[in-house]
Amino acid sequence: MMNNMTICNYIVGVVGMVLGALIMSAAAAFPMQFTENGPGPGFWPFSLGCALAVAALVLLAFTFMKRADLAQQKVNLTTTANKRVYIMMGLVVLFCVFINLLGFYPAAALLIIATMKLMDYHDKKGIILTTVLTLAFIYLVFGVLLHTKMPQSIFLS
Amino acid sequence: MADIISALNMIMVPVNLLGLVMGVLVGIAFGCMPGLSVNMGLALLFPLAFTFHGIGGILMLLGIYCGAIYGGSISAILLKTPGTPASVATTLDGYPMATKLRQPGRALGLSTMASTFGGVFSTICLILLAPQLAKVALQFSKPEYFALAIFGLSIITSVSSGSVVKGIMGGLIGLFLATVGIDAMTGTIRFTLDTTYLLGGVSFIPILIGVFAFAQVLGSIEEYYHNERSEQHMVIDRLLPSLADVKRVFTTLLRSSFIGTFIGCVPGTGGDIASFVSYDQAKRWSKHGSNFGNGEPEGICASEAGNNAVSGGAFIPVLTLGIPGDGATAIMMGALMVQGLQPGPLLFVEKAPDVYAIFIGLLLANLIMGIMGFSLIRLFTKVVNVPVHILLPIIVMMTFVGTYSYNNSLNDVYLMVASGFLGYFLNKLGFSMSAIIIGIILGGMAEQNFVGSLIMSDGNFNIFYTRPLCLFFLVAAVLSLLSPVLGKLFKKA
Repeated sequence: MMNNMTICNYIVGVVGMVLGALIMSAAAAFPMQFTENGPGPGFWPFSLGCALAVAALVLLAFTFMKRADLAQQKVNLTTTANKRVYIMMGLVVLFCVFINLLGFYPAAALLIIATMKLMDYHDKKGIILTTVLTLAFIYLVFGVLLHTKMPQSIFLS
Repeated sequence: MADIISALNMIMVPVNLLGLVMGVLVGIAFGCMPGLSVNMGLALLFPLAFTFHGIGGILMLLGIYCGAIYGGSISAILLKTPGTPASVATTLDGYPMATKLRQPGRALGLSTMASTFGGVFSTICLILLAPQLAKVALQFSKPEYFALAIFGLSIITSVSSGSVVKGIMGGLIGLFLATVGIDAMTGTIRFTLDTTYLLGGVSFIPILIGVFAFAQVLGSIEEYYHNERSEQHMVIDRLLPSLADVKRVFTTLLRSSFIGTFIGCVPGTGGDIASFVSYDQAKRWSKHGSNFGNGEPEGICASEAGNNAVSGGAFIPVLTLGIPGDGATAIMMGALMVQGLQPGPLLFVEKAPDVYAIFIGLLLANLIMGIMGFSLIRLFTKVVNVPVHILLPIIVMMTFVGTYSYNNSLNDVYLMVASGFLGYFLNKLGFSMSAIIIGIILGGMAEQNFVGSLIMSDGNFNIFYTRPLCLFFLVAAVLSLLSPVLGKLFKKA
């Protein structure tokens, strides 16, 4: 489990090296040689990919040298608080789906209510008031004043 | 003179003035609510700023920038919970004055006075120094600009509080993201995954809102389960500082404003460093040094004048050289670029009225901040108590609406959400979000001037170390990158 900085850094280092290699490979598809117009369009991103891979390697080396110290640094990713964040992420993904199905305002109302419930706030009056006032503010400022057309339900459009 | 009159004409448009006033108001509100940062306020209202025509949006962002730095002092004094890192030093004397001495009004009044003084002082320095520096910078050519971009990127080591290597990795990722889209030099389409959405490059605004606002909301949801938030119910009176207080703190105000302005000029520093250095110097030079930590007026003024003086100082490298000093100025620089104002010495030649409008706007923002601080402080002390379970759902909604309204694009919303999720985990792993944003902002400048320099020299890399100014900035960049290592070596020695 990723519960200390040593393990996290090893993973980040490997991911960084893979990402660097991917960037280099993608950049290699473009010309890199020098012409009268300077280096080709692949040169700069290829160099960035190289630098990223080297930086990731340095991170791995530093982590290995300081593995005992870094192991003391805890990285919380599985606590109850983290799980609430993951639920929030799930709610946001659902919101992104519902925004197409139901339209912006109904989806937004559901997300506000769900977020407040997630934060252990259950006062119905407070929830309804917050939802209505927030949506009214968005409608007035963005819908009326700025003429932003919010996404509509696919069933309506 | 004609440029100044044009600038005044731009600012005195009622909508622009309203934007400035609203910006300061929202900025103070953001600053005084613990958990909401200057960067978050700027990122969240970034898209809204472009509904204004011309300079209006920039004025609004200037208002938020100044207001949020000051706002952090309110919760620092009343709750001992600084709204922004720049106000941590204010808690040392502000909170004891508010609680032990039972003078919250006096503490807030002193902090308002010092913040306004520091902000105005640094803006005057900006007005005096920036055009002179821009004249020097006009001599720069492509190699110097490339070296400047590298120097600007090297401040990543300073903004990366966790790990420097991770900061560099974040900066490199930002630089790579800046290459997506049509290459400005050759017109080649790069890394667009065959989508039209990426043809114009990776959209900067959704990433900005994602990593600075949405990721922070996720972090706040996590914190909500760890921290009990206290509320304040103090009676605020005696807001205007007495003449005796003004006399007592005047020297400190001047010294701290100077320190803050100077520190603001140095890329990679910020309000937190300025406030602590100012506080330390005030304690060292004060006749009441032993009273520091027990509600000393000089302590509050030193910290607040120091951190607000950063605002003007930080704009000197942004406007003259195109180098952002921290996350907030990177966002401001992005806003200027989106408005078609490319920061750098040419800005002073090609868009002089806009530059003067920024100067005057910053000055006005600081003055409005002072007026609001003295007249609306009771309102702001109530904002401090807004419950997190009401605040966070509203901010979540604003991240969506703000992102969507910029281009009326759901793809932008999806990108913002993805950036927010990634930002949350990267924050936990010790990555700096500012580093990624600085990489994206300086990416275009670095690549175009790198390629342009090599065209100038027929592909010869000598050009980067045979030109004195270019070499100077490159050496400064290397020193800046190695500063954490050098710092440790010096300490050992």
